[in-house]
Amino acid sequence: MVEELLHSSPGIANFGIFFLLGAVLLLIVLGFVTYGILAERKVMGYMQLRHGPNRVGGKWGLLQTVADVLKLLLKEDIIPKAADKPLFILAPVVAFAPSFMVLATIPFTDKFQFADIGVGLLYYIAVSGLTVFGMVLGGWASNNKYALLGGMRAAAQMISYEIPLVMSVLGIILLTGSLNLNDIVEQQENVWFILLQPVAFVVFFIASIAELNRTPFDLPEAENELVAGYHVEYSGFRWAFFMLAEYVYLFAMSALITVIFLGGWLPLFDFLSFIPGAVWFSVKFSAVVFVYIWLRSTLPRFRVDRLMEFGWKVLFPVALANIFLTALIKTLFF
Amino acid sequence: MTISGEFIAFMGLALVAIIGGVLLLNLTKVVHMVVALIFTFVAIAGVFVLLSAEFVAVVQILVYAGSITIIMLFGIMLTKHDDEGETTTGKWRKVFIFLGVVGFAVAVYIGIYDFNVVQVPTDLHVDNTMKIGEALYSKWVIPFEVTSVLLLVALVGSIILAKKDQDQKEGDKE
Repeated sequence: MVEELLHSSPGIANFGIFFLLGAVLLLIVLGFVTYGILAERKVMGYMQLRHGPNRVGGKWGLLQTVADVLKLLLKEDIIPKAADKPLFILAPVVAFAPSFMVLATIPFTDKFQFADIGVGLLYYIAVSGLTVFGMVLGGWASNNKYALLGGMRAAAQMISYEIPLVMSVLGIILLTGSLNLNDIVEQQENVWFILLQPVAFVVFFIASIAELNRTPFDLPEAENELVAGYHVEYSGFRWAFFMLAEYVYLFAMSALITVIFLGGWLPLFDFLSFIPGAVWFSVKFSAVVFVYIWLRSTLPRFRVDRLMEFGWKVLFPVALANIFLTALIKTLFF
Repeated sequence: MTISGEFIAFMGLALVAIIGGVLLLNLTKVVHMVVALIFTFVAIAGVFVLLSAEFVAVVQILVYAGSITIIMLFGIMLTKHDDEGETTTGKWRKVFIFLGVVGFAVAVYIGIYDFNVVQVPTDLHVDNTMKIGEALYSKWVIPFEVTSVLLLVALVGSIILAKKDQDQKEGDKE
């Protein structure tokens, strides 16, 4: 259906349909964020021998996040007196907008996708790089030492880990011969790229955790050093926007890993193909999200000087070696 | 001239790009200037998309909006960042500059209005990433490699500059 829409001639009706679809996707993502946060708190709770939220909304705390968001919306909107006001207001928007933009290119199933761009993979990486401005500007505009340090750390970390992130997928691009995410999924008909490119997967996964600013790479918001990092001066709805951006990125990154390493909507075995692609996608997607939560509750935080060293001296050379090896194998055996 | 979706999109992007450029010149705080610059870069990437040069658009965002502006932000934040620009222009100078701008606009308008662009139906937008790659590695391979050597030289040079500073500091301590 979307395929036809994408190739139909543009017009008001077309615009309206896409607007509606975009709104629907936004609602889906908000739903994910609501229950993603709950799932994270529940899973972490059980891993730490607690129960997690269990009061609001029945035994499972199903309305806990809704209540939290409502509380955030009702909070007073504080802008510090010494803050750089226009930037302070702009920063959460700049942080959130790219996180939703990147979702356009991700193929959820073979029929449900918003934009079939030839350079889809590169588009994701380029646009997600814009979020870092929101963090830096937010930290800068707050006029607070902790916030500024957090913003600088966020920028340094995201730039450094973007390079291994891009380098690790180059192996897959070499094997596929395309940057298009649909082509990448279709190439995994027989065997998933996680088996063909295990090194790339490990490098990509580690770098993606750093890009998402999650533990063990959550240095930009390390509570014991920086209070809360770049959003220390933010409250209420603006703070919620930073949080929302973070979880939408979790959604987007998990979806991207599903697409490029785990075969997207394709079934595990051929005889299981009666199960629809959307189910396969969501199962793989949930597994990736679970691994992120799992790592968060099991690993301690990196030390700040080790972080850069690890990115540049370990991940980057490994990613380069992987490209070299892939190119060699491709010329010799394919 | 008919108003189509493409026209509206182009006008929006062009306005953002130009307003960003003007703000870059007129704002007084340096960090605000960089923000204006980001808007210009992203809007230009949008114009590339309209021309169906998707690869160039993405590279524009990745390199210009993503890396270069971050480096500028870092540079500003690590140096004297509270500096504000001062305007030292006189009244007559402003008048002359305004006349110059108007003259330039008229000249460009006259030049462009009747400019006959021969429309050649091309299929450059099909697989343009692949075509750029093929051109780079076959026709333009020597300039491409020379550019990479240039970048390498710049990289090594910056490392040497940074290293020298450190040595001197250590020397001072002793």
